[in-house]
Amino acid sequence: MIELVSESRCIACDKCVKVCPTNVFDAVPDGPPRIARQSDCQTCFLCEAYCPADALFVAAEAHQHVEVNEEELVKKGLLGVYRRHLGWDKGSSPIDRLETYRSLAAKVGSPI
Amino acid sequence: MNSVDENGVELSTDVLVIGGGPAAAWAAIAARERGAEVVVVDKGYVGASGAFAASTSGNKVLPPIAELRDPVKFERYALGGTLAQHRWWDRLLEITYDRAPRVWEWAGYEIPVWERTVKSSYRGLQGSETMRILREVLLQKGVELLDHSPALELLIDHEGAVAGARGINRQTGVPWTVKAGATVVASGGVAWLSKALGCNTNTGDLHLAAAEVGAELSGMEFSAHYSPAPIHSSVTKGAYYRYATYTAEDGNELELSKNGHRSTSAIAKELLKAPVYCKLDRGTENPEVRQMLRLGQPNFFAAFDKVGIDPFEQRFRITLLLEGTVRGTGGVRVANDECGTTVPGLYAAGDAATRELNCGGFTGGGGPNMTWAIGSGNIAGRAAADFARSLGKAVNERAVQRTGGAGLRARNHTLSYDANAVVKGVQDEVFPYEKNIFRTEKGLVESLAALDRLWEKVQGIPLQDSPQSLLRSREAAALVATARWAYFAGLQRTETRGMHKRLDYPSLDPAQRHYLAVGGLDRLWTRKDAVPEAIVVDGSKGAETVKAKVAVAA
Repeated sequence: MIELVSESRCIACDKCVKVCPTNVFDAVPDGPPRIARQSDCQTCFLCEAYCPADALFVAAEAHQHVEVNEEELVKKGLLGVYRRHLGWDKGSSPIDRLETYRSLAAKVGSPI
Repeated sequence: MNSVDENGVELSTDVLVIGGGPAAAWAAIAARERGAEVVVVDKGYVGASGAFAASTSGNKVLPPIAELRDPVKFERYALGGTLAQHRWWDRLLEITYDRAPRVWEWAGYEIPVWERTVKSSYRGLQGSETMRILREVLLQKGVELLDHSPALELLIDHEGAVAGARGINRQTGVPWTVKAGATVVASGGVAWLSKALGCNTNTGDLHLAAAEVGAELSGMEFSAHYSPAPIHSSVTKGAYYRYATYTAEDGNELELSKNGHRSTSAIAKELLKAPVYCKLDRGTENPEVRQMLRLGQPNFFAAFDKVGIDPFEQRFRITLLLEGTVRGTGGVRVANDECGTTVPGLYAAGDAATRELNCGGFTGGGGPNMTWAIGSGNIAGRAAADFARSLGKAVNERAVQRTGGAGLRARNHTLSYDANAVVKGVQDEVFPYEKNIFRTEKGLVESLAALDRLWEKVQGIPLQDSPQSLLRSREAAALVATARWAYFAGLQRTETRGMHKRLDYPSLDPAQRHYLAVGGLDRLWTRKDAVPEAIVVDGSKGAETVKAKVAVAA
């Protein structure tokens, strides 16, 4: 579930408030959105994918709250990790991702 | 907050599309290209809502070559217990081959020509990317989008034709009314808030609303689809389990496949006894294979990267999460070739509509689901535009009536109910494998009794002190209604076919080769609907495929 809105990274664009399919965030005037309904989070990672500031962390644990530490997440490179894997981060593109996938698939084929 | 019975925002349009996924987007685009004014309303955000944006899906984008298309048609025909129809497949494949590549075109990407000629599913863009593009296209084409605007009820005219819908903006609390000549329900299937990937917007709200205006459902007995997921997670991506070794707590290998395919029943049986672990170590030693798999399904790895598990090297514990009719089948009954329902002005597309027409009683996972979403979306959108035009410009001056009942307006004014407790009550009946996967008459009757009690509860006064509680109250009623249809139909189908497994009737009964329409609110009913003549497979190119797949399905 969503566990972190980084105060230092958030640019208060409210994109997450707009895109969240299950409406877990509440916008806060001039500040980072508030996680208002955490248990409604369906752990789809889409807010992370859309966040332009890599300020969100959706933990993989879907059914229970877990404690997270921002510093540790940054150290492990986990903030914005899903966005990078989709090719949605700056300087990257989903097509680059797909091209690499294709050339690998052509080379190694299906493992089974 | 405003009351649901206040007027709020009022809009008038030719076609109203309810939903925010691929079927809704395609329906809106098709209607718009036919010259209709179109409004799309969605519970979430058009483009991020629904199963596809989160979980992605394969597709069947195949050129009109029998050698490529026949195996797809024959495979689902066999797996789905011979209830799918080649005639529908032909239409859906034609539309998908024409339309699906447009997404690339619209995004300004070079269309991968080779993809269109290989004999495999279409390895396309991720769902999140496809939906981001489709949202842009909708806006460019002048479709009006209302995000975070769940439809709570349908409107009808004095003759009973559907004339639009009403709902609420769940972020502002302002009610909305959209009057329309035709309405397309493309709001997704129902997965009973299981948190299967991207499925929690899919609560069957419009299944209930459709039934309230007299529409029928079909195939609801084929709603027991579960997918494996790492036990801590939401990630129900099943494809890579083909590389899995299954083990018990003590490390001993478990045989949970049948004829080379993952067997949900075998996994469920084992899970009822003890924990099951997986490692993706069959044929994945080559680092380039691993990199390829990562690039193919970034969401699959999100569940692992964040908890520091390498699924190729370390074993992880799994569970099965219910995906209901999202990856299963069953939904609003399609009553004609236009994806119309039995109610004039109401059309159904995507997961919200029954997928028996191309998948029979089986899952459409691996491509057929997306082919249905694109095909039925386009068919419904076009037909809705034509129907709206036939009614003339004055159509939205019609007097309309609100139709929402359970979970929205109380019938029993002496009792209130706790929506979350009702949701939990439904989940207690539909989640357990022993009730939903391994069905028996006794189990179904007991579950239906519990669900009937919950149905009585949701006739009480719904909590409506915030937009969220108002929505959850209605969702709770929809979850009860859809569960009742699923189990009532499951009780009537006294055989094992497709995804519907009866322990007390373990074989397929040739006499029950029919669809099962189901409906009703207080009193439920079923009706046997004929399926076209069985397809004779001897001598045709697909014969071998069918024989092999029937063997697998049996």
